[in-house]
Amino acid sequence: MIDTAPSSRLWTMRIAFSALTLLILFLHLLPLQTATGGLIWPDTLLLFAIAWSVRRPDFVPAPLLAALFLLADLLLQRPPGLWAAMALIACEQMKKQSRVLRDASLASEMVSAVLWIVGIGLAYRLVLAILLIDVPPLGPALIQIVVTALTYPLIVGLTHAFMGVRKPAPGDIDGKGVRS
Amino acid sequence: MAKDRAQIDYGGPLRRLVLALLVLVLTGTFLLWRIDSPRVERFRAQVTDRIVPNMDWAMAPVTGTINLFRDFQSYRRIAEQNTELRRELRQMQAWKEAALQLEQENARLLDLNNVRLDPRLTYITGVVLADSGSPFRQSVLLNVGARDGIVEGWATMDGIGLVGRISGVAQNTARVIMVTDASSRVPAIIQPSGQQAIVAGDNSAAPPIDFLENPDLVRPGDRVISSGDGGVFPAGLLIGQVAADPSGRLRVRLAADYERLEFLRVLRHYGNEPVTDNNNVLAPGGAALLTPEVAE
Repeated sequence: MIDTAPSSRLWTMRIAFSALTLLILFLHLLPLQTATGGLIWPDTLLLFAIAWSVRRPDFVPAPLLAALFLLADLLLQRPPGLWAAMALIACEQMKKQSRVLRDASLASEMVSAVLWIVGIGLAYRLVLAILLIDVPPLGPALIQIVVTALTYPLIVGLTHAFMGVRKPAPGDIDGKGVRS
Repeated sequence: MAKDRAQIDYGGPLRRLVLALLVLVLTGTFLLWRIDSPRVERFRAQVTDRIVPNMDWAMAPVTGTINLFRDFQSYRRIAEQNTELRRELRQMQAWKEAALQLEQENARLLDLNNVRLDPRLTYITGVVLADSGSPFRQSVLLNVGARDGIVEGWATMDGIGLVGRISGVAQNTARVIMVTDASSRVPAIIQPSGQQAIVAGDNSAAPPIDFLENPDLVRPGDRVISSGDGGVFPAGLLIGQVAADPSGRLRVRLAADYERLEFLRVLRHYGNEPVTDNNNVLAPGGAALLTPEVAE
């Protein structure tokens, strides 16, 4: 990943991630499913955020993630801030582990990611229930958590193959011109 | 570049500080929403108002293409559909004849009784811009807002039945919480028995009927219309028909076509005038006439 202008690539990828988020929100908001009971989609925004966080933490800095998650909360009619805070914590923890995970296999990365996805999914419901806010029905919510966890490898594949976001190999020069 | 390098040297603690701050801000937003929901919801409506209409140019063709594809799939059973429609049309013509006769009779009777219907129920039609984007919430975003005089709480219908109520108005957009949403409660009356009930949304396609006084008087197929209690909805809007689910619970099969919501009517409704001076309703000196009997 040696670029002539590393800093510009860094910013390009940050903008690319924002564009990806907007695209996901756009697809969610298309007025196709006005009736109840359709397909339950995985939370692709969270998946991409985790996959990018593990691979290139510098492409998704915490303030950017926080802003995008909050925007998603606002547009998708969720209680604003709660899911964003939890997803942000999950992503930051994955970033912290990214150095360890860099040399580890995909399996151990997956286990870690799935644990976080399920963990924040349940914690979210718990906090809503404690604060007496309408909790989404249990069945579909559990299905969504499971579907999200199962889709993780697919998203990793997409990220790796089509978006060119890969773990830096030892000795690569990272975006800030520092040997990673 | 030198600045970036400096950031890396202090990266650990600084990053942790930034993260802590961000989490604090997000949690704060959430708590603020919990405490003062209307203010934050207004902010949400404004954010939506800024962003979603900008997506419209792309949304319309994408939605159109996908719907075209869906329609194409249904074209394959077109012959079957055609015969079905013919049969329905025949039935409808019979009904139309009956409706015309009833309308004339109704008009004659209203004229005889000198009845004046509420003339203020006019409507604005809006286009559906976006859905809620989540399987747990049932709402749509309309392209009419405060600019068009939309007021929070007004009822919306498609051509036939009640769809929901306005909740969240921004300058150019308004959100409609549908009758199927888990937070929706609509006071209703079931005809012909005249039973009062509440249609309570639960995220399913057919919301259940709650607080029914006497379920024995209600049969599947009865009409459910809004009762106007509580002053939120005008009375007499068609909601749907009663249906019993396999476990015997009464639900409403909604009259509005939720599969294809493209245009919605927002009914202008300025509330019913309450009767305050009960005494004067009887006669100008009603109170004076009543007192001797009350005193006895």
